[in-house]
Amino acid sequence: MPDWNDEVRKRLASLRLQPTQEAEIVEEFAQHLDDVYERSLAKGASESEARLMALNELADTNLLPNELKRVHKPFHEAPVPGGAGRSNLLTDFFQDLRYAGRMQLKNPAFTIVAVIALALGIGANTAIFSVVNSVLLRPLPYKDPDRLVMVWEDASKFGYPRDTPATANFVDWRDQNTVFEGMAAISDESFNLTGTGDPERLEGRLVSANLFPLLGVEPQIGRTFTAAEDQPGSNKVVLLSHALWQRRFGGDNSIAGKPINLNGESYSVVGVMPARFQFPTSDDQVWVPIAFTSKDIANRNRHYLQVLARLKPGVTLEQAQTDMHTVAARLQQQYPDSNTDLGAAVTSLHEHLVGDIKPALLILLGAVGLVLLIACANVANLLLARAAVRQKEIAVRVALGARRQRLIRQFLTESILLSTIGGVVGLVVAYGGLLLLRAFIPESISQTAQISMDLKVLGFTLLVSLVTGLIFGLAPAVQAARFNQTETLKEGGRDSATGSSGKRIRGLLVMSEVAVSLVLLIGAGLLINSFLRLRNVDPGFRSDNLLTMRVVLPIPKYAEFERRSAFYTELVQRVQNLAGVKSAAVTTNLPLYRQGNSIGVSIEGQPPLPPGQENVVVTRIISPGYFDTMSIPLLSGRQFTDQDIRTSPRVVVISETMARRYWPGQDAIGKRIGAGDIERPEDWIQVVGVVKDVHQFDLTAEPRPQMYLPYRQWGFFESRDLVVKTEVDPASLAATVRRTVWEIDKDQPVSNIRTMDEILGESIARQRFSMLLLAIFAGVALILAAVGIYGVMSYSVAQRTHEIGIRMALGAQTGAVLKLAVSYGLKLVVGGIVIGLIAAFALTRVMSTLLFGVTATDPTTFTLISLLLIAVAAIASYIPARRATKVNPIIALRYE
Amino acid sequence: MLDRELKKGSAELLILSLVEDQPRHGYDIGTLIERRSGGTLRFNVASLYPLLYRLEKRGWIQGRWVEKAGQRRRRYYRLTAEGKKVLAAQRNSWREFVEAISRITGIEHA
Repeated sequence: MPDWNDEVRKRLASLRLQPTQEAEIVEEFAQHLDDVYERSLAKGASESEARLMALNELADTNLLPNELKRVHKPFHEAPVPGGAGRSNLLTDFFQDLRYAGRMQLKNPAFTIVAVIALALGIGANTAIFSVVNSVLLRPLPYKDPDRLVMVWEDASKFGYPRDTPATANFVDWRDQNTVFEGMAAISDESFNLTGTGDPERLEGRLVSANLFPLLGVEPQIGRTFTAAEDQPGSNKVVLLSHALWQRRFGGDNSIAGKPINLNGESYSVVGVMPARFQFPTSDDQVWVPIAFTSKDIANRNRHYLQVLARLKPGVTLEQAQTDMHTVAARLQQQYPDSNTDLGAAVTSLHEHLVGDIKPALLILLGAVGLVLLIACANVANLLLARAAVRQKEIAVRVALGARRQRLIRQFLTESILLSTIGGVVGLVVAYGGLLLLRAFIPESISQTAQISMDLKVLGFTLLVSLVTGLIFGLAPAVQAARFNQTETLKEGGRDSATGSSGKRIRGLLVMSEVAVSLVLLIGAGLLINSFLRLRNVDPGFRSDNLLTMRVVLPIPKYAEFERRSAFYTELVQRVQNLAGVKSAAVTTNLPLYRQGNSIGVSIEGQPPLPPGQENVVVTRIISPGYFDTMSIPLLSGRQFTDQDIRTSPRVVVISETMARRYWPGQDAIGKRIGAGDIERPEDWIQVVGVVKDVHQFDLTAEPRPQMYLPYRQWGFFESRDLVVKTEVDPASLAATVRRTVWEIDKDQPVSNIRTMDEILGESIARQRFSMLLLAIFAGVALILAAVGIYGVMSYSVAQRTHEIGIRMALGAQTGAVLKLAVSYGLKLVVGGIVIGLIAAFALTRVMSTLLFGVTATDPTTFTLISLLLIAVAAIASYIPARRATKVNPIIALRYE
Repeated sequence: MLDRELKKGSAELLILSLVEDQPRHGYDIGTLIERRSGGTLRFNVASLYPLLYRLEKRGWIQGRWVEKAGQRRRRYYRLTAEGKKVLAAQRNSWREFVEAISRITGIEHA
């Protein structure tokens, strides 16, 4: 039978039809011509006569194109190339999209596997980006936040490069600088709210009146403070946070001007801040004018302020820093007693709020990026395998005149469709992930920023999805476009992508998956290692069965020292008598709350140090039962007793580090230190005991010299933490202990009710957060890499079924065949591990600030993780290899 | 062979009638027209298929590739619901037209 296709196509050429459409028409016409030809033969015509009669059907050379043109007019207006010629991107795109959609529906298993891998990768990226976006990228909710800075005292000489300034220095800075529009002072303060409902302790700030204009925020109700209210005696006014206003005052719209009771005094509410306002953190509920007294303004020794400033327009951070250097240098000259070696440091407000968490977040973002890369490699491998199966389809397309460009575009459309579906599912994954993240996100992050998804996150996901699709789609697309058409057609559909190039690409992908997983696993391993070491740090006390709560006495009501100490004596007494309580004590600051309270001391027998450069000692003022309650071991000497009172000789218990530092090689007991005014004999206190070191700030820092003073000898303290050693579950006693406080004073708020275990947990929450997340990502990476190795090995074994069959038929042992198959897999894995180790050496250095007790190139971690990966890879390649040995040689040979 | 214009005017009616009872492929349709008209009406590929495509485009008939065991796939055309209405209407007007011609020319029905 003659081939009519060319004849038909020739006559359609002028129409420039879409290739698929043209192919259909050609097919339909050719059949018709076949029928005519056969009928003619049947009627007795010769072959050439029959051929002519058939071709006669195509006569009327003009008729056909003209008639068809009328029918296919719309296509003619948007012509699409068959083999050559112009192209129409949009039409092609929709055509490809429809086709891609059909392809996905036809292979649900493939689609599901690919989408899961992508959704995990994109979802993890979206979730972490949401956090990064909320914490690092979203501008602070103030006017022109870029111009807001914090100004610190630079006391680097004493180990505090960013110290809180003293009032007098703040005042001089404010008056002498030339770079700031304004400067405001802020100080921590907590208030006991009474009068409506249960007494409550509120975190708040004392602030300069100009703070709010400086931030550029307006209150929702009422007004902010006037300069007149920022004066001693006139500052009994308060601004409420939106949350407090809703919770305690029922959202009363006429609250402005009404009095509320704080610390036993009446304050007039001047306004309510908007819901989205927080300064500095969401913990802060009330703001009160700071109202410096003339004594405050002269004080250069009490360093407790935080200072916010707004740069003048056009002034850079560096210029501000230079100007503040000048001011600080002038003050050094002017006040050598207090300001020697004291500089000034300017940091952006943003840096101040989120600077600590930034490295961890960026590392996590990098880690999820790597997870996504692995997911890409996996999907690329899947696509490559499928492309091999689709060779015939491609051959037909090329035969019909499809150009390489066009094929690549079609393949990319398919992969981008896949990645977009992955992205949509990934958004769901990310949303769920964020809900989970919220559960163990450190408070220090959640107080600073609201973690949420916004348009920027959606845009990020879209971008990531598209780029992902491009990355994993490119390899199969290029591969598909490069194949040899005639070979494929000749081979009758047998897979020719097993050729060396296909195998090489797949091998490379597996190697990179292994390398990237290794980097992630090592990173996670280092963090886990650090975290375990952190958990094993002896905090210096026993945290189990300890209940803690904060009971801060309002100063006006408890102005006299005797009243305060009487309250605490009674409290400890009553709590100790409760059922289930072993002992109880009070302290100024619990360990690990990250709070300071250090004072400078002089050591007897050593020359006095210049002012401002004394030996700085962490100081805690405690009740006698504290060491027993906290199980802090006494190393020598004695503890405090009920006899250590104001009228008895002043005594101190010091830590072992302090004893070692100031009296090396001597017995510290009986030695004296000067705390306060060394001219006054009563300010010299005698060491009566030495206790073990306690990690007062955090577990990562080396313990500094510490001392403990008895609470009935010292009148200065601001906050009092109650700590109770229980015989039962400490949390179960919380309500009872709180009731005991209210039995003594019904208006006394109780706050921060926590077990010591919780405090310990919170102190390492940030490390746990990074460790857990990186471990999860590394786990996902390991699974993805294992799946990738398994897939490639299965494929390679399946391709070699024939060869394996022959080997086995010729008498090869199972073991030999296994070795053959596994060794290929292991070769890839070892290659990947070598690359991964090199990369890990280079990359883990960026996370050295997150590590504790291990170096960034810890050899144990590197070795163990490599072995783990080899083991997993061995299993992933053993399973398909094992299957290969089960091949029946007969079937394998017939498989052709 | 009939005059081209006349043929064209009636051709749609012919095709619609032929696919009314059962779907048919192009060659089938062409052969049936030729046979039933006793050879008077004849469409070749160049004239038949553009017509089919045009009818399909108007939504009166619908073509579909059908594979039958042991045969190559072929494109079968069937009458759509809309095609049915058109066919009924065209039949009517054709009958009126023929009757009008008959009355004038005196040609009687067979």
